[in-house]
Amino acid sequence: MSIEVRNVTKRFGDFVALEDVTVSLPTGQLTALLGPSGGGKSTLLRIIAGLDTADEGTIDIEGTEATNLPARKRNVGFVFQHYAVFKHMTVAKNVAFGLEIRKRPKDEIEHRVDELLRLVHLQQFAHRLPSQLSGGQRQRMALARALAVEPKVLLLDEPFGALDAKVRRELREWLRRLHDEVHVTTVFVTHDQEEALEVSDEIVVINEGRVEQIGSPDDLYDHPANDFVMGFLGEVTTVNGQKVRPHDVDISTTPILAGAAQGTISRVLRVGFQVRVNVLTDGGEDVTVELTKSHANALGLGEGTTVWVTPTPGSIPRMVEKAG
Amino acid sequence: MLWFSLLVLIPLAAVVVKSAEGGWGTFADAVTNRQTFAALRLTVLTSVGVTALNMVMGTIIAWVLVRDRFPGKAILDLVIDIPFALPTIVAGLVLLALYGPTSPIGVHAANTRLAVFLAIAFVTLPFIVRTVQPVLEEMERDVEEAAASLGASRFTTFRRIILPTLAPAIFAGAALSFARGISEYGSLVLLSGNLPYRTEVTSVRMLTYLEGGDTASAAAVATILLVVALLAIVTLDVIQRRVARRG
Repeated sequence: MSIEVRNVTKRFGDFVALEDVTVSLPTGQLTALLGPSGGGKSTLLRIIAGLDTADEGTIDIEGTEATNLPARKRNVGFVFQHYAVFKHMTVAKNVAFGLEIRKRPKDEIEHRVDELLRLVHLQQFAHRLPSQLSGGQRQRMALARALAVEPKVLLLDEPFGALDAKVRRELREWLRRLHDEVHVTTVFVTHDQEEALEVSDEIVVINEGRVEQIGSPDDLYDHPANDFVMGFLGEVTTVNGQKVRPHDVDISTTPILAGAAQGTISRVLRVGFQVRVNVLTDGGEDVTVELTKSHANALGLGEGTTVWVTPTPGSIPRMVEKAG
Repeated sequence: MLWFSLLVLIPLAAVVVKSAEGGWGTFADAVTNRQTFAALRLTVLTSVGVTALNMVMGTIIAWVLVRDRFPGKAILDLVIDIPFALPTIVAGLVLLALYGPTSPIGVHAANTRLAVFLAIAFVTLPFIVRTVQPVLEEMERDVEEAAASLGASRFTTFRRIILPTLAPAIFAGAALSFARGISEYGSLVLLSGNLPYRTEVTSVRMLTYLEGGDTASAAAVATILLVVALLAIVTLDVIQRRVARRG
Protein backbone atom coordinates (compact mmCIF):
# COMPACT_ATOMS: atom_id res chain seq x y z
CA MET A 1 0.00 0.00 0.00
CA SER A 2 1.38 3.35 -1.00
CA ILE A 3 -0.44 5.86 1.15
CA GLU A 4 -1.79 4.82 4.53
CA VAL A 5 -4.07 7.27 6.28
CA ARG A 6 -4.90 6.11 9.80
CA ASN A 7 -7.51 7.62 12.12
CA VAL A 8 -7.03 11.14 10.83
CA THR A 9 -9.15 13.85 12.42
CA LYS A 10 -9.02 17.53 11.48
CA ARG A 11 -11.03 20.37 12.94
CA PHE A 12 -11.23 24.01 11.90
CA GLY A 13 -12.59 25.63 15.05
CA ASP A 14 -15.91 23.94 15.69
CA PHE A 15 -16.13 22.54 12.19
CA VAL A 16 -15.05 18.91 11.87
CA ALA A 17 -13.48 18.58 8.42
CA LEU A 18 -12.35 14.97 8.85
CA GLU A 19 -13.47 12.53 11.48
CA ASP A 20 -11.41 9.43 12.19
CA VAL A 21 -10.63 8.75 8.52
CA THR A 22 -8.71 5.57 7.66
CA VAL A 23 -7.89 4.87 4.00
CA SER A 24 -5.30 2.85 2.12
CA LEU A 25 -4.44 4.11 -1.34
CA PRO A 26 -2.74 1.45 -3.43
CA THR A 27 0.55 1.94 -5.28
CA GLY A 28 0.47 2.71 -8.98
CA GLN A 29 -3.25 3.34 -9.11
CA LEU A 30 -5.34 6.33 -9.98
CA THR A 31 -7.64 7.00 -7.04
CA ALA A 32 -10.42 9.57 -6.90
CA LEU A 33 -11.53 11.23 -3.67
CA LEU A 34 -15.14 11.99 -4.53
CA GLY A 35 -17.66 13.94 -2.52
CA PRO A 36 -19.63 17.14 -2.26
CA SER A 37 -17.92 20.50 -1.65
CA GLY A 38 -16.96 21.02 1.97
CA GLY A 39 -17.00 17.27 2.60
CA GLY A 40 -13.36 17.12 3.61
CA LYS A 41 -11.79 15.55 0.53
CA SER A 42 -9.48 18.48 -0.25
CA THR A 43 -8.47 18.67 3.40
CA LEU A 44 -7.49 15.00 3.30
CA LEU A 45 -5.42 15.58 0.17
CA ARG A 46 -3.69 18.59 1.74
CA ILE A 47 -2.91 16.59 4.86
CA ILE A 48 -1.36 13.85 2.73
CA ALA A 49 0.74 16.52 0.99
CA GLY A 50 1.75 18.15 4.27
CA LEU A 51 0.12 21.47 3.38
CA ASP A 52 -2.19 21.01 6.39
CA THR A 53 -1.55 19.01 9.51
CA ALA A 54 -3.90 16.48 11.07
CA ASP A 55 -5.07 17.05 14.65
CA GLU A 56 -4.95 13.32 15.24
CA GLY A 57 -3.88 10.28 13.26
CA THR A 58 -0.92 9.32 11.08
CA ILE A 59 0.10 9.38 7.42
CA ASP A 60 2.47 6.86 5.82
CA ILE A 61 3.77 7.42 2.31
CA GLU A 62 5.46 4.43 0.67
CA GLY A 63 6.39 3.00 4.03
CA THR A 64 7.77 6.28 5.38
CA GLU A 65 6.12 7.80 8.40
CA ALA A 66 5.24 11.24 7.07
CA THR A 67 2.91 12.61 9.74
CA ASN A 68 5.38 15.22 10.97
CA LEU A 69 7.36 15.79 7.78
CA PRO A 70 7.04 19.27 6.23
CA ALA A 71 5.61 19.41 2.70
CA ARG A 72 8.98 20.02 1.09
CA LYS A 73 10.40 16.76 2.45
CA ARG A 74 7.52 14.49 1.50
CA ASN A 75 8.40 14.24 -2.16
CA VAL A 76 4.82 14.49 -3.36
CA GLY A 77 3.73 16.30 -6.48
CA PHE A 78 0.78 18.63 -5.94
CA VAL A 79 -1.42 20.17 -8.60
CA PHE A 80 -3.76 22.98 -7.60
CA GLN A 81 -7.17 23.88 -8.94
CA HIS A 82 -6.01 27.35 -9.96
CA TYR A 83 -2.70 26.14 -11.41
CA ALA A 84 -0.45 28.05 -8.94
CA VAL A 85 1.95 28.97 -11.72
CA PHE A 86 5.12 30.96 -11.07
CA LYS A 87 4.05 33.95 -13.15
CA HIS A 88 7.49 35.51 -13.59
CA MET A 89 9.08 32.33 -14.94
CA THR A 90 8.84 30.80 -18.39
CA VAL A 91 7.13 27.45 -18.84
CA ALA A 92 10.50 25.68 -18.95
CA LYS A 93 11.66 27.47 -15.78
CA ASN A 94 8.47 26.53 -13.98
CA VAL A 95 9.02 22.88 -14.80
CA ALA A 96 12.71 23.10 -13.88
CA PHE A 97 12.05 24.69 -10.47
CA GLY A 98 11.99 21.51 -8.38
CA LEU A 99 15.10 20.16 -10.13
CA GLU A 100 17.04 23.42 -9.68
CA ILE A 101 16.27 23.34 -5.97
CA ARG A 102 17.68 19.83 -5.86
CA LYS A 103 20.81 21.21 -7.52
CA ARG A 104 20.80 18.76 -10.40
CA PRO A 105 23.37 19.33 -13.16
CA LYS A 106 22.27 21.83 -15.80
CA ASP A 107 22.26 19.48 -18.77
CA GLU A 108 20.29 16.88 -16.84
CA ILE A 109 17.67 19.54 -15.95
CA GLU A 110 17.48 20.68 -19.54
CA HIS A 111 17.03 17.14 -20.78
CA ARG A 112 14.36 16.30 -18.20
CA VAL A 113 12.40 19.52 -18.80
CA ASP A 114 12.42 18.83 -22.51
CA GLU A 115 11.19 15.30 -21.94
CA LEU A 116 8.39 16.44 -19.61
CA LEU A 117 7.24 19.23 -21.91
CA ARG A 118 6.97 16.70 -24.68
CA LEU A 119 4.97 14.44 -22.37
CA VAL A 120 2.43 17.20 -21.73
CA HIS A 121 2.54 18.46 -25.34
CA LEU A 122 3.93 21.88 -24.47
CA GLN A 123 7.39 21.64 -26.06
CA GLN A 124 6.70 24.54 -28.44
CA PHE A 125 5.69 26.76 -25.48
CA ALA A 126 8.89 26.27 -23.44
CA HIS A 127 9.91 29.94 -23.61
CA ARG A 128 6.50 31.50 -23.12
CA LEU A 129 5.25 32.95 -19.89
CA PRO A 130 2.32 31.20 -18.18
CA SER A 131 0.11 34.23 -18.86
CA GLN A 132 0.38 33.41 -22.57
CA LEU A 133 -1.12 29.95 -22.07
CA SER A 134 -4.74 28.82 -21.88
CA GLY A 135 -6.12 27.32 -18.68
CA GLY A 136 -5.76 23.77 -19.93
CA GLN A 137 -2.17 24.40 -21.01
CA ARG A 138 -1.33 25.96 -17.65
CA GLN A 139 -2.66 22.93 -15.84
CA ARG A 140 -0.62 20.62 -18.06
CA MET A 141 2.44 22.74 -17.24
CA ALA A 142 1.64 22.45 -13.52
CA LEU A 143 1.41 18.70 -13.95
CA ALA A 144 4.79 18.56 -15.68
CA ARG A 145 6.25 20.70 -12.90
CA ALA A 146 4.91 18.31 -10.26
CA LEU A 147 6.17 15.26 -12.16
CA ALA A 148 9.64 16.75 -12.67
CA VAL A 149 10.84 15.84 -9.19
CA GLU A 150 9.78 12.21 -9.67
CA PRO A 151 7.37 12.26 -6.74
CA LYS A 152 6.36 9.12 -4.91
CA VAL A 153 2.75 10.20 -5.24
CA LEU A 154 0.97 12.74 -7.37
CA LEU A 155 -1.87 14.64 -5.73
CA LEU A 156 -4.33 16.71 -7.75
CA ASP A 157 -6.82 19.01 -6.04
CA GLU A 158 -9.83 19.53 -8.35
CA PRO A 159 -7.36 19.78 -11.22
CA PHE A 160 -9.96 20.47 -13.90
CA GLY A 161 -12.37 22.46 -11.74
CA ALA A 162 -11.52 25.83 -13.27
CA LEU A 163 -11.75 24.68 -16.88
CA ASP A 164 -14.71 24.69 -19.24
CA ALA A 165 -16.60 21.49 -19.96
CA LYS A 166 -14.95 20.56 -23.25
CA VAL A 167 -11.36 21.10 -22.10
CA ARG A 168 -12.20 19.28 -18.90
CA ARG A 169 -13.33 16.21 -20.77
CA GLU A 170 -10.23 16.24 -22.98
CA LEU A 171 -7.89 16.67 -20.05
CA ARG A 172 -9.34 13.88 -17.98
CA GLU A 173 -9.03 11.44 -20.85
CA TRP A 174 -5.49 12.68 -21.29
CA LEU A 175 -4.78 12.28 -17.56
CA ARG A 176 -5.93 8.66 -17.73
CA ARG A 177 -3.61 7.97 -20.68
CA LEU A 178 -0.77 9.83 -18.96
CA HIS A 179 -1.23 7.74 -15.86
CA ASP A 180 -1.12 4.55 -17.92
CA GLU A 181 2.22 5.80 -19.29
CA VAL A 182 3.82 7.13 -16.11
CA HIS A 183 2.28 4.83 -13.48
CA VAL A 184 2.90 7.13 -10.57
CA THR A 185 0.49 6.63 -7.68
CA THR A 186 -2.08 9.35 -8.24
CA VAL A 187 -4.83 10.71 -6.04
CA PHE A 188 -7.20 13.35 -7.32
CA VAL A 189 -10.02 15.21 -5.67
CA THR A 190 -13.23 15.86 -7.55
CA HIS A 191 -16.86 16.59 -6.89
CA ASP A 192 -17.80 15.44 -10.38
CA GLN A 193 -18.98 11.81 -10.23
CA GLU A 194 -18.71 11.44 -14.00
CA GLU A 195 -15.05 12.43 -13.84
CA ALA A 196 -14.38 9.96 -11.02
CA LEU A 197 -16.23 7.12 -12.74
CA GLU A 198 -14.50 7.70 -16.04
CA VAL A 199 -10.92 8.19 -14.94
CA SER A 200 -10.15 6.31 -11.76
CA ASP A 201 -9.23 2.76 -10.78
CA GLU A 202 -10.68 3.26 -7.35
CA ILE A 203 -13.03 5.78 -5.79
CA VAL A 204 -13.15 6.88 -2.17
CA VAL A 205 -16.47 8.59 -1.44
CA ILE A 206 -16.10 11.17 1.31
CA ASN A 207 -18.97 13.09 2.87
CA GLU A 208 -19.16 15.22 5.99
CA GLY A 209 -15.65 14.26 7.01
CA ARG A 210 -16.22 10.51 6.82
CA VAL A 211 -15.46 7.82 4.27
CA GLU A 212 -18.78 6.53 2.94
CA GLN A 213 -17.46 3.81 0.65
CA ILE A 214 -14.30 2.64 -1.11
CA GLY A 215 -14.39 0.58 -4.27
CA SER A 216 -13.96 0.37 -8.02
CA PRO A 217 -16.19 2.62 -10.15
CA ASP A 218 -18.34 -0.36 -11.19
CA ASP A 219 -18.61 -1.54 -7.61
CA LEU A 220 -19.77 1.83 -6.36
CA TYR A 221 -22.20 2.39 -9.18
CA ASP A 222 -23.77 -1.07 -9.02
CA HIS A 223 -23.50 -1.76 -5.30
CA PRO A 224 -23.64 1.54 -3.43
CA ALA A 225 -23.24 1.00 0.31
CA ASN A 226 -25.88 3.54 1.22
CA ASP A 227 -28.32 6.07 -0.13
CA PHE A 228 -25.77 8.86 -0.07
CA VAL A 229 -23.34 7.01 -2.34
CA MET A 230 -26.16 5.94 -4.62
CA GLY A 231 -27.49 9.46 -4.86
CA PHE A 232 -24.09 11.02 -5.36
CA LEU A 233 -22.94 8.72 -8.15
CA GLY A 234 -25.98 9.26 -10.33
CA GLU A 235 -29.62 10.15 -10.45
CA VAL A 236 -32.05 8.10 -8.40
CA THR A 237 -35.77 7.62 -8.71
CA THR A 238 -38.27 5.59 -6.65
CA VAL A 239 -40.53 2.92 -8.19
CA ASN A 240 -42.75 0.77 -6.00
CA GLY A 241 -40.77 1.79 -2.96
CA GLN A 242 -37.46 0.79 -4.58
CA LYS A 243 -34.67 3.22 -5.42
CA VAL A 244 -33.21 2.71 -8.88
CA ARG A 245 -31.38 4.65 -11.57
CA PRO A 246 -33.79 6.31 -14.05
CA HIS A 247 -32.25 4.27 -16.88
CA ASP A 248 -33.00 1.08 -14.93
CA VAL A 249 -36.75 1.60 -15.20
CA ASP A 250 -38.77 -0.32 -17.80
CA ILE A 251 -41.70 1.54 -19.28
CA SER A 252 -44.50 0.17 -21.43
CA THR A 253 -47.86 1.35 -22.73
CA THR A 254 -49.56 -1.97 -21.91
CA PRO A 255 -49.73 -3.73 -18.52
CA ILE A 256 -47.49 -6.62 -19.59
CA LEU A 257 -44.81 -6.02 -16.95
CA ALA A 258 -45.41 -8.08 -13.83
CA GLY A 259 -45.88 -5.96 -10.71
CA ALA A 260 -45.60 -2.73 -12.66
CA ALA A 261 -47.04 0.49 -11.29
CA GLN A 262 -49.63 2.24 -13.41
CA GLY A 263 -49.33 5.95 -13.97
CA THR A 264 -49.67 8.93 -16.29
CA ILE A 265 -46.85 10.79 -18.00
CA SER A 266 -46.68 14.33 -16.63
CA ARG A 267 -43.69 15.56 -18.60
CA VAL A 268 -41.46 14.53 -21.51
CA LEU A 269 -38.08 16.22 -21.80
CA ARG A 270 -35.65 15.65 -24.63
CA VAL A 271 -31.97 16.02 -23.63
CA GLY A 272 -29.76 15.33 -26.63
CA PHE A 273 -29.96 11.64 -27.47
CA GLN A 274 -31.97 10.94 -24.34
CA VAL A 275 -35.58 11.40 -23.37
CA ARG A 276 -36.47 11.97 -19.75
CA VAL A 277 -40.04 11.08 -18.84
CA ASN A 278 -41.78 11.90 -15.59
CA VAL A 279 -44.53 9.44 -14.62
CA LEU A 280 -47.02 10.19 -11.87
CA THR A 281 -48.10 6.76 -10.61
CA ASP A 282 -51.45 5.98 -9.06
CA GLY A 283 -49.51 5.17 -5.89
CA GLY A 284 -48.46 8.83 -5.76
CA GLU A 285 -44.81 8.39 -6.79
CA ASP A 286 -43.11 10.70 -9.26
CA VAL A 287 -40.95 8.31 -11.26
CA THR A 288 -38.23 9.56 -13.61
CA VAL A 289 -37.46 7.31 -16.55
CA GLU A 290 -34.59 7.75 -18.98
CA LEU A 291 -34.67 6.08 -22.35
CA THR A 292 -33.29 6.64 -25.80
CA LYS A 293 -35.08 8.88 -28.21
CA SER A 294 -35.82 6.05 -30.65
CA HIS A 295 -37.23 3.90 -27.86
CA ALA A 296 -39.49 6.72 -26.72
CA ASN A 297 -40.64 7.34 -30.30
CA ALA A 298 -41.39 3.62 -30.81
CA LEU A 299 -43.56 3.61 -27.70
CA GLY A 300 -45.24 6.83 -28.77
CA LEU A 301 -44.84 8.48 -25.38
CA GLY A 302 -46.39 11.87 -24.82
CA GLU A 303 -47.82 13.90 -21.98
CA GLY A 304 -50.99 12.29 -20.63
CA THR A 305 -50.17 8.77 -21.92
CA THR A 306 -51.03 5.98 -19.49
CA VAL A 307 -47.99 3.79 -18.85
CA TRP A 308 -46.71 1.02 -16.58
CA VAL A 309 -43.29 1.30 -14.94
CA THR A 310 -41.13 -1.20 -13.04
CA PRO A 311 -37.43 -1.61 -12.21
CA THR A 312 -35.58 -3.39 -15.02
CA PRO A 313 -35.04 -7.07 -14.16
CA GLY A 314 -31.38 -7.53 -13.28
CA SER A 315 -30.88 -4.02 -11.92
CA ILE A 316 -30.02 -3.84 -8.27
CA PRO A 317 -32.54 -1.64 -6.51
CA ARG A 318 -32.27 -0.45 -2.94
CA MET A 319 -35.27 -0.55 -0.62
CA VAL A 320 -36.31 2.89 0.58
CA GLU A 321 -36.70 1.55 4.15
CA LYS A 322 -32.94 0.99 4.32
CA ALA A 323 -32.39 4.72 4.02
CA GLY A 324 -29.90 6.19 6.43
CA MET B 1 -1.12 63.76 -23.95
CA LEU B 2 -1.94 67.48 -24.18
CA TRP B 3 -3.05 67.46 -20.56
CA PHE B 4 0.15 65.68 -19.57
CA SER B 5 2.18 68.24 -21.53
CA LEU B 6 0.46 71.20 -19.89
CA LEU B 7 0.78 69.73 -16.45
CA VAL B 8 4.24 68.20 -16.50
CA LEU B 9 6.35 68.76 -19.60
CA ILE B 10 5.97 72.53 -19.99
CA PRO B 11 6.89 73.40 -16.38
CA LEU B 12 9.84 71.00 -16.58
CA ALA B 13 11.00 72.57 -19.81
CA ALA B 14 10.59 76.02 -18.28
CA VAL B 15 12.96 75.11 -15.45
CA VAL B 16 15.58 73.88 -17.86
CA VAL B 17 15.21 76.94 -20.06
CA LYS B 18 15.43 79.22 -17.04
CA SER B 19 18.61 77.53 -15.89
CA ALA B 20 20.14 78.07 -19.30
CA GLU B 21 19.16 81.74 -19.27
CA GLY B 22 22.17 82.87 -17.30
CA GLY B 23 24.42 81.04 -19.73
CA TRP B 24 26.76 78.17 -19.08
CA GLY B 25 28.79 80.25 -16.65
CA THR B 26 25.98 80.79 -14.16
CA PHE B 27 25.03 77.16 -14.43
CA ALA B 28 28.58 75.96 -13.77
CA ASP B 29 29.02 78.46 -10.94
CA ALA B 30 25.82 77.35 -9.24
CA VAL B 31 26.65 73.71 -9.51
CA THR B 32 30.31 73.96 -8.53
CA ASN B 33 29.56 76.23 -5.60
CA ARG B 34 30.87 74.29 -2.59
CA GLN B 35 27.87 75.04 -0.41
CA THR B 36 25.45 73.95 -3.13
CA PHE B 37 27.45 70.82 -3.78
CA ALA B 38 27.39 69.94 -0.07
CA ALA B 39 23.63 70.43 0.02
CA LEU B 40 23.14 68.28 -3.08
CA ARG B 41 25.36 65.54 -1.69
CA LEU B 42 23.58 65.50 1.66
CA THR B 43 20.15 65.42 0.01
CA VAL B 44 20.95 62.66 -2.46
CA LEU B 45 22.91 60.44 -0.06
CA THR B 46 20.31 60.76 2.70
CA SER B 47 17.52 60.00 0.24
CA VAL B 48 19.37 56.94 -1.03
CA GLY B 49 19.87 55.74 2.55
CA VAL B 50 16.26 56.34 3.53
CA THR B 51 14.99 54.68 0.37
CA ALA B 52 17.14 51.60 0.98
CA LEU B 53 15.81 51.41 4.54
CA ASN B 54 12.24 51.87 3.30
CA MET B 55 12.64 49.05 0.80
CA VAL B 56 13.35 46.66 3.66
CA MET B 57 11.10 48.10 6.37
CA GLY B 58 8.23 48.99 4.04
CA THR B 59 8.15 45.45 2.68
CA ILE B 60 8.22 44.00 6.19
CA ILE B 61 5.43 46.30 7.37
CA ALA B 62 3.33 45.45 4.31
CA TRP B 63 3.94 41.75 4.96
CA VAL B 64 2.85 42.06 8.59
CA LEU B 65 -0.24 44.05 7.60
CA VAL B 66 -1.31 41.49 5.00
CA ARG B 67 -0.26 38.17 6.49
CA ASP B 68 -0.42 38.53 10.26
CA ARG B 69 -3.42 38.86 12.48
CA PHE B 70 -3.10 40.88 15.64
CA PRO B 71 -5.22 43.28 17.68
CA GLY B 72 -4.90 46.86 16.49
CA LYS B 73 -4.05 45.86 12.93
CA ALA B 74 -6.77 48.07 11.46
CA ILE B 75 -5.46 51.02 13.44
CA LEU B 76 -1.86 50.42 12.33
CA ASP B 77 -3.11 50.20 8.77
CA LEU B 78 -4.64 53.64 9.22
CA VAL B 79 -1.65 55.17 11.01
CA ILE B 80 0.67 54.27 8.10
CA ASP B 81 -1.01 56.98 6.01
CA ILE B 82 -0.52 59.78 8.52
CA PRO B 83 2.78 61.00 7.01
CA PHE B 84 0.89 61.28 3.70
CA ALA B 85 -2.02 63.15 5.19
CA LEU B 86 -0.11 65.52 7.44
CA PRO B 87 0.94 68.91 6.02
CA THR B 88 4.72 68.66 5.94
CA ILE B 89 5.22 71.68 8.17
CA VAL B 90 3.04 69.98 10.79
CA ALA B 91 5.23 66.91 10.43
CA GLY B 92 8.17 69.23 11.01
CA LEU B 93 6.62 70.53 14.23
CA VAL B 94 5.91 66.97 15.40
CA LEU B 95 9.50 65.96 14.73
CA LEU B 96 10.82 69.08 16.45
CA ALA B 97 8.73 68.31 19.52
CA LEU B 98 9.92 64.71 19.59
CA TYR B 99 13.60 65.00 18.67
CA GLY B 100 14.22 68.68 19.35
CA PRO B 101 16.04 70.36 22.24
CA THR B 102 13.15 69.57 24.61
CA SER B 103 12.86 65.96 23.50
CA PRO B 104 10.74 63.91 25.89
CA ILE B 105 12.57 60.73 24.90
CA GLY B 106 16.05 62.15 25.20
CA VAL B 107 16.95 62.06 21.52
CA HIS B 108 18.48 65.35 20.48
CA ALA B 109 18.61 65.35 16.73
CA ALA B 110 18.15 69.06 16.19
CA ASN B 111 20.73 70.69 13.91
CA THR B 112 22.28 67.33 12.95
CA ARG B 113 22.27 65.28 9.79
CA LEU B 114 20.26 62.68 11.69
CA ALA B 115 17.43 65.22 11.69
CA VAL B 116 17.43 65.26 7.89
CA PHE B 117 17.41 61.48 7.80
CA LEU B 118 14.58 61.19 10.34
CA ALA B 119 12.43 63.77 8.60
CA ILE B 120 12.81 62.18 5.18
CA ALA B 121 12.23 58.71 6.64
CA PHE B 122 9.06 59.97 8.32
CA VAL B 123 7.45 61.40 5.21
CA THR B 124 8.47 58.60 2.83
CA LEU B 125 7.56 55.59 4.98
CA PRO B 126 4.09 54.96 3.46
CA PHE B 127 5.23 54.80 -0.18
CA ILE B 128 6.60 51.27 -0.27
CA VAL B 129 4.08 49.93 2.24
CA ARG B 130 1.25 51.16 0.04
CA THR B 131 2.68 49.91 -3.24
CA VAL B 132 3.61 46.44 -1.91
CA GLN B 133 0.45 45.84 0.12
CA PRO B 134 -2.02 45.30 -2.75
CA VAL B 135 0.41 43.01 -4.61
CA LEU B 136 0.87 40.89 -1.50
CA GLU B 137 -2.86 40.74 -0.98
CA GLU B 138 -3.38 39.48 -4.50
CA MET B 139 -0.62 36.90 -4.34
CA GLU B 140 -2.05 33.39 -4.16
CA ARG B 141 -0.99 31.23 -1.25
CA ASP B 142 -1.16 28.29 -3.68
CA VAL B 143 2.01 29.50 -5.30
CA GLU B 144 3.99 29.30 -2.08
CA GLU B 145 2.52 25.90 -1.33
CA ALA B 146 3.45 24.72 -4.80
CA ALA B 147 7.04 25.81 -4.21
CA ALA B 148 7.07 24.02 -0.84
CA SER B 149 5.74 20.80 -2.32
CA LEU B 150 8.50 20.99 -4.94
CA GLY B 151 11.04 21.00 -2.14
CA ALA B 152 11.72 24.72 -1.62
CA SER B 153 12.52 26.01 1.87
CA ARG B 154 10.79 29.15 3.19
CA PHE B 155 13.88 31.18 2.31
CA THR B 156 14.15 29.80 -1.22
CA THR B 157 10.45 30.40 -1.75
CA PHE B 158 10.87 33.99 -0.62
CA ARG B 159 13.93 34.61 -2.75
CA ARG B 160 12.79 32.90 -5.94
CA ILE B 161 9.01 33.27 -5.87
CA ILE B 162 7.84 36.02 -3.52
CA LEU B 163 10.57 38.61 -4.03
CA PRO B 164 10.46 38.60 -7.84
CA THR B 165 6.67 39.01 -7.63
CA LEU B 166 6.98 41.94 -5.25
CA ALA B 167 9.98 43.54 -6.97
CA PRO B 168 8.04 45.81 -9.36
CA ALA B 169 5.98 47.17 -6.46
CA ILE B 170 9.00 47.60 -4.18
CA PHE B 171 10.93 49.48 -6.83
CA ALA B 172 7.98 51.62 -7.89
CA GLY B 173 7.58 52.60 -4.24
CA ALA B 174 11.32 53.20 -3.99
CA ALA B 175 11.24 55.61 -6.94
CA LEU B 176 8.43 57.58 -5.33
CA SER B 177 10.17 57.50 -1.97
CA PHE B 178 13.46 58.73 -3.42
CA ALA B 179 11.84 61.49 -5.45
CA ARG B 180 9.96 62.67 -2.39
CA GLY B 181 13.16 62.50 -0.34
CA ILE B 182 15.26 64.74 -2.57
CA SER B 183 12.49 67.33 -2.75
CA GLU B 184 11.59 67.39 0.95
CA TYR B 185 11.44 70.79 2.56
CA GLY B 186 8.71 71.40 5.12
CA SER B 187 9.26 68.53 7.49
CA LEU B 188 12.99 68.99 7.92
CA VAL B 189 13.40 72.73 7.74
CA LEU B 190 12.55 73.21 11.43
CA LEU B 191 14.55 70.36 12.93
CA SER B 192 17.66 70.38 10.75
CA GLY B 193 18.65 73.96 11.47
CA ASN B 194 19.72 74.42 7.81
CA LEU B 195 23.41 74.81 8.68
CA PRO B 196 25.46 75.43 5.51
CA TYR B 197 27.79 72.52 4.63
CA ARG B 198 26.27 70.42 7.43
CA THR B 199 22.49 70.13 7.45
CA GLU B 200 21.38 72.33 4.59
CA VAL B 201 19.42 70.43 1.95
CA THR B 202 19.00 71.31 -1.70
CA SER B 203 15.50 72.70 -1.45
CA VAL B 204 16.62 75.10 1.31
CA ARG B 205 19.62 76.09 -0.79
CA MET B 206 17.36 76.85 -3.73
CA LEU B 207 15.17 79.00 -1.55
CA THR B 208 18.23 80.95 -0.48
CA TYR B 209 19.07 81.58 -4.17
CA LEU B 210 15.52 82.69 -4.84
CA GLU B 211 15.45 85.00 -1.86
CA GLY B 212 18.62 86.59 -3.20
CA GLY B 213 16.90 87.11 -6.57
CA ASP B 214 19.19 84.62 -8.30
CA THR B 215 16.53 82.64 -10.13
CA ALA B 216 18.97 81.35 -12.74
CA SER B 217 21.08 79.61 -10.10
CA ALA B 218 17.99 78.20 -8.40
CA ALA B 219 16.83 76.84 -11.74
CA ALA B 220 20.28 75.35 -12.35
CA VAL B 221 20.11 73.44 -9.06
CA ALA B 222 16.56 72.40 -9.91
CA THR B 223 17.78 71.00 -13.22
CA ILE B 224 20.43 68.98 -11.42
CA LEU B 225 17.76 67.54 -9.10
CA LEU B 226 15.64 66.74 -12.12
CA VAL B 227 18.49 64.81 -13.70
CA VAL B 228 19.21 62.98 -10.43
CA ALA B 229 15.54 61.99 -10.12
CA LEU B 230 15.46 60.73 -13.71
CA LEU B 231 18.67 58.76 -13.21
CA ALA B 232 17.27 57.23 -10.04
CA ILE B 233 14.04 56.16 -11.74
CA VAL B 234 15.92 54.59 -14.64
CA THR B 235 18.38 52.82 -12.33
CA LEU B 236 15.62 51.45 -10.13
CA ASP B 237 13.75 50.23 -13.19
CA VAL B 238 16.82 48.42 -14.50
CA ILE B 239 17.46 46.72 -11.15
CA GLN B 240 13.80 45.81 -10.85
CA ARG B 241 13.86 44.05 -14.22
CA ARG B 242 16.94 42.10 -13.15
CA VAL B 243 15.37 40.96 -9.87
CA ALA B 244 12.06 40.05 -11.49
CA ARG B 245 13.78 38.00 -14.15
CA ARG B 246 16.18 36.25 -11.81
CA GLY B 247 13.51 34.08 -10.13
